[in-house]
Amino acid sequence: MSELTVVVENLRKGYGPGDARVEVLRGVSLQIQKGETVALVGKSGSGKSTLLSLLAGLDQADAGTITIANRNITSMDEGELTQFRAANMGIVFQQFHLVSTLTALENVLLPLELLRRPRASETARSLLEAVGLSHRSHHLPSQLSGGESQRVAIARALAINPSILFADEPSGNLDEETGEKVMDLLFRMVEATGTTLVLVTHDPELARRCGRVVHLEHGGLA
Amino acid sequence: MILKFFFRKELKRYPFFFLLLFTTLLLGTLGLVGISVVSSEVQQKLRQSANELLTSDLAVSARRELFPAEQEALQKIFLKYPHGHYKIIDLYSMVTNVATGVSRLVEIRATGTGFPFYGRLETDGDPFQSERLFISDDLRNLWGIGAGVSLKIGTLTLPTAGVVTHDSSQGLRGFSLAPRIYFPLNRLEETGLLKPGATGSFAYHYKLVDPSEEVLREIKLEVYAAIPDSAVKITFPQDTSDQTARVTNTLTNFMALAALIGLILSLVGVFYLYQSHLLARLRDLCLLNLYGLSKLKLVGGIIAQFSAVFALVMTVELLLIPVIYRLLAPVLSRNLGLDLGTQVNLLGAAREIPLLFVLSLLILTPLLLGLLRTPMGLQLKAQKLALGRFRFFDFLPFGFALWIFSGYLARSFKTGNIFFGSLILVFLVSTAIVKLGQWLLRRFIQGDGLLTPTIECGVALRGLTRSGHKLTLSFLSLAVGATLISLILQLDKMILTEFAFDAKKPSLFIFDIQEEQLEPFQGLAQANASPLAFVTPMIRARLEAVNGKKFERKKKDFDFRSREEDEDTRLRNNGLNLTYRSYLTDSERIVSGEPFPAGGAPEGRLSYVSIEKRWSERMNVRLGDRLTFDVQGVPFDGVVRNIKEIKWTSFYPNFFVTIEPGQIDAAPKTFLAILPQGPLPVKLSLQRKTIEAFPNISFIDVGELVAKLSVLFERSRQAIEIISWLSLAVGLVILYGLSHDQVYRRYYDLALMKSLGFSSRQLLLNLLYEFGALFFAAMSLGLFLGWLIAQLIGREVFKLPVSVDWARVFYPAILLSILCLATIFLSSWRAVRAKPRELLSDS
Ligand SMILES: Nc1ncnc2c1ncn2[C@@H]1O[C@H](COP(=O)(O)OP(=O)(O)OP(=O)(O)O)[C@@H](O)[C@H]1O
Ligand SMILES: [Mg+2]
Repeated sequence: MSELTVVVENLRKGYGPGDARVEVLRGVSLQIQKGETVALVGKSGSGKSTLLSLLAGLDQADAGTITIANRNITSMDEGELTQFRAANMGIVFQQFHLVSTLTALENVLLPLELLRRPRASETARSLLEAVGLSHRSHHLPSQLSGGESQRVAIARALAINPSILFADEPSGNLDEETGEKVMDLLFRMVEATGTTLVLVTHDPELARRCGRVVHLEHGGLA
Repeated sequence: MILKFFFRKELKRYPFFFLLLFTTLLLGTLGLVGISVVSSEVQQKLRQSANELLTSDLAVSARRELFPAEQEALQKIFLKYPHGHYKIIDLYSMVTNVATGVSRLVEIRATGTGFPFYGRLETDGDPFQSERLFISDDLRNLWGIGAGVSLKIGTLTLPTAGVVTHDSSQGLRGFSLAPRIYFPLNRLEETGLLKPGATGSFAYHYKLVDPSEEVLREIKLEVYAAIPDSAVKITFPQDTSDQTARVTNTLTNFMALAALIGLILSLVGVFYLYQSHLLARLRDLCLLNLYGLSKLKLVGGIIAQFSAVFALVMTVELLLIPVIYRLLAPVLSRNLGLDLGTQVNLLGAAREIPLLFVLSLLILTPLLLGLLRTPMGLQLKAQKLALGRFRFFDFLPFGFALWIFSGYLARSFKTGNIFFGSLILVFLVSTAIVKLGQWLLRRFIQGDGLLTPTIECGVALRGLTRSGHKLTLSFLSLAVGATLISLILQLDKMILTEFAFDAKKPSLFIFDIQEEQLEPFQGLAQANASPLAFVTPMIRARLEAVNGKKFERKKKDFDFRSREEDEDTRLRNNGLNLTYRSYLTDSERIVSGEPFPAGGAPEGRLSYVSIEKRWSERMNVRLGDRLTFDVQGVPFDGVVRNIKEIKWTSFYPNFFVTIEPGQIDAAPKTFLAILPQGPLPVKLSLQRKTIEAFPNISFIDVGELVAKLSVLFERSRQAIEIISWLSLAVGLVILYGLSHDQVYRRYYDLALMKSLGFSSRQLLLNLLYEFGALFFAAMSLGLFLGWLIAQLIGREVFKLPVSVDWARVFYPAILLSILCLATIFLSSWRAVRAKPRELLSDS
């Protein structure tokens, strides 16, 4: 029997005040097993990014609970959450988001050193090598192409060996061919490390590569 | 459409940009426009009152009585021009209140009938008459006397007829050495003050029926042709105001330069603001271009936009200035002796605004050229937008304009060049330091680890090494600001030490001691328990020729002259006083050449001459040159043996030219001496006894002079201090803008770092490290450079040794630190609170 890694119960989230309020998530419940790969799909504006940001602890829910690795992250304060996230989660964004003043290697190194992991430098180098960018390790983000940036971002997200990886349309800003290559890489690395993956995507092809597809509709899971 | 884009839409979407732009420009230009208003007002008042200051249309004067031949020549010339005339003799002497026996130095203005042609003298009783004795209100206040008091001047005793409460011919009242008394010219002979060699001004004043400029010019040429002696000068009303204004001018010009630093700082800010703004707007600009708006039109739109902001700034400023002026005018009037009134003529003051505008616009040239070079079509496809690069040469028009502008503001090529040079120096040193610092840091962080010394610091260090000219710019503006503050504080200290009363300084300066009076006078002083010091001979002479080549009198008309030229003419036209002695005083230092050999000049060798450095430069005289002086009709030759620097403010008897003793000793001369600091009663009794025994001997109370000078310096120091605080404010606005902009630009970086596990505290630390290091380095450099420049000025101007006053280094350092850290903190606060959630949204 596989162990549960993410348990979401009756999650609610809305934006805006009074009459203008939009209820985006109206009681979402979801369970994800360890090592599972889940595709989160739905129309634009259905709340995929919102759900992801709550799962990753980047935003506060209105109601409901999220338990990850047996810890209730909705009851954590900001400091605890930051530490928990740093140690357990990896995030890949649609716009890559690398720290602009740090080189590719330093970007991968950053989360490792924040956690004071031993042999951080070796780990970062081998990860860059794994994403095929060891020759680019001393380049600044402004000197990297979109595909290269996203590969660095993936390396960074996986560097801490997270128990769960969140990715929001990671190939959305890449051309088809590059996007495919980057996603191949992502899946290969997730499989190799047995990391749990939650992937937001509009691409049915990509969704099919996941173990499970979850549809978000009218503020709930279909 | 364009209008809408560049004005309404922009203002709505980027209120913060416009607010910063407005504030920066306002603070940066306020000092300059303010000074321009005040100084133009003063100049205008001086011009208006020029006739009143001179009291006539023109005066022919000399520091001696005109020779009979010269007087005849004048009479002949003026026969052709219908006129009225009178004579004024101004000299310093002691006056004694017969009733109390108290004496003091006064300026005696002996006036002939008809005085004054222009202006008026207000009295507290009987109207002014040239035939009677009047005193100024200064003297009345000192002695508490009015009409009907007997005063003894020289050997003559006269009753006072009243008190002159206002004299329109007295311009800068603060600078007269002594209170004035108005004396009947026809009785002056009887006082015995007019001995040959007495120091005074002998002026023949004329009022012409037709005082047009051509007539004045004609007369000037005729007089100069008829009287070749350059000791005889013609003064026009214009010149009087020039002279009176010289001091104010010099001061306002220096202040204008200080204000220019503020302006430059703010222009750096404007450049920076526009750069980030254009970058933010680039996509829209590219779109406009795509829809058919040419690049030139885009540039035109930006210029129009900037012009509008500039116009608004000037409007606000011109509204503000009368308010400030109304507060300032009474203070100025009191100190300058000018009736300034409380209304400002803003149009007259606005003459610098077009120049300011051109200068401000030129700073944008590199950006606008960059925009013209931007490949706009490509930009729409690109991931990241980039403004076309600008080159070093793009800054040249601005640099050139700045150079011209600083010369113009200082009204002196030399001062302008020094200013511009220092600026370039600060610029180069700052750039070099940034580059060097980045290079060193890069070596320091060469390894892979981010943890040296801590992760916040490691990340901050990388930020520092990898942001390019933005860093240089903020560093530069900070360094310039700190330089200025430090410079002001150091100068302030020098002025304080320079003009403080100090026991070593003389208390009285005694002059006009005739040769035959020297011994009895010294005896008198000895008996009074106030022995004289530095008894120095003074010989009246004129430089006739250098290496046999004659000096020509320069024929100058009413034209624009810079300060150096003014001084040149003065030095060349006036005769000069020289002395002979074998030793150097404490305030003299030989900078090149040899000291005089012992034993004096033997027969058969030319006497050696020691000359002052500045004088040698002005007269273009070098070591080894042969100088020919005219010593009251007799030629005297000497060879320049050494060049020395003199600390004039020491108030010791110093001369531009010192001759080796020996051959010169026989020349007709008077003596100078000083009375060292001592008890007041002794000083007063020396003055009283002297006036009785030797009425022609005059005193200058150096103590009083120093007090008056310190008031003047105090005022200008305050003005410069205000300006430097303005500059500091500009610096802080820029710093705020810079760090705000940096933080905004890196908003995503910061949010990202947060999502990766940086706590708010760590983020804040990271920002504080980065900006703090930048700011700390800039401040240290600025404080050092300011100190250095102050030391240079101290050496050159005040002849002071190098010194460090730690309090004056630390006080601004601490203050600047607090202000800057607060600014950084303010601008970072929002970013540190960034919600990483925003990373998931699209823009
Ligand atoms: N900060 C916010 N303030 C107000 N409304 C918001 C905010 N963020 C998101 N929304 C709204 O919430 C809804 C869900 O947004 P979300 O970004 O989660 O959609 P999404 O499913 O990720 O869409 P897409 O596929 O286009 O990325 C949208 O209607 C959006 O307008
Ligand atoms: Mg989304």
